[in-house]
Amino acid sequence: MTARHVVAGALLATGIGIELLSCLGVLRARDAYDRLHYLGAASTLGAALVCAAVLVNEGFDQAGDKAVLLAVILAVCGPVLTHATGRAARIRAAGRFTIHDTERERADEPAG
Amino acid sequence: MNGWLIGATVLLAASAAPLWIVFRSGIMDALVGLELAAVLDTLAVALLAEGFHRQSFFDLAIVLGVLGFIGSLAFARFLERWV
Repeated sequence: MTARHVVAGALLATGIGIELLSCLGVLRARDAYDRLHYLGAASTLGAALVCAAVLVNEGFDQAGDKAVLLAVILAVCGPVLTHATGRAARIRAAGRFTIHDTERERADEPAG
Repeated sequence: MNGWLIGATVLLAASAAPLWIVFRSGIMDALVGLELAAVLDTLAVALLAEGFHRQSFFDLAIVLGVLGFIGSLAFARFLERWV
């Protein structure tokens, strides 16, 4: 049980803990917009920690490099997907993405 | 049975939660649940590859990560108006 395994185990446990917490958050949230917050955390932070655990355990060989690539892919795709889903939910609910005139709180805001 | 396989098992079991969302709630909540399940399963495949010391199976996790992204993007796009 070298120090490397201890650090990899700790990173792995933290990453999986974050994934479990985001699952719990998705279960508890009320609507799609709230659930998107937990999706962002799971795909960026959780994935980065899990892949860091693999990297620490493997070093920079084939598996380590692929784990880094996987973390980069998930970290780039996560926010893009979160925005696309929020946009789809907004357009599905309100017909278009921009603010409706009826939703404008102050009269002096510029029109749509 | 090492820590990586235990982690993969925990992640696969945890992906039951978003799948519960997929079957139980509205269409947009189901899309968010699908995306979270895809991330969990991508990481589970990566941990299985690490647990079985098969370095070439990381390609599976990378492809699953990219295809999960593209699939969810297509769902989101069509759920805006057409479906």
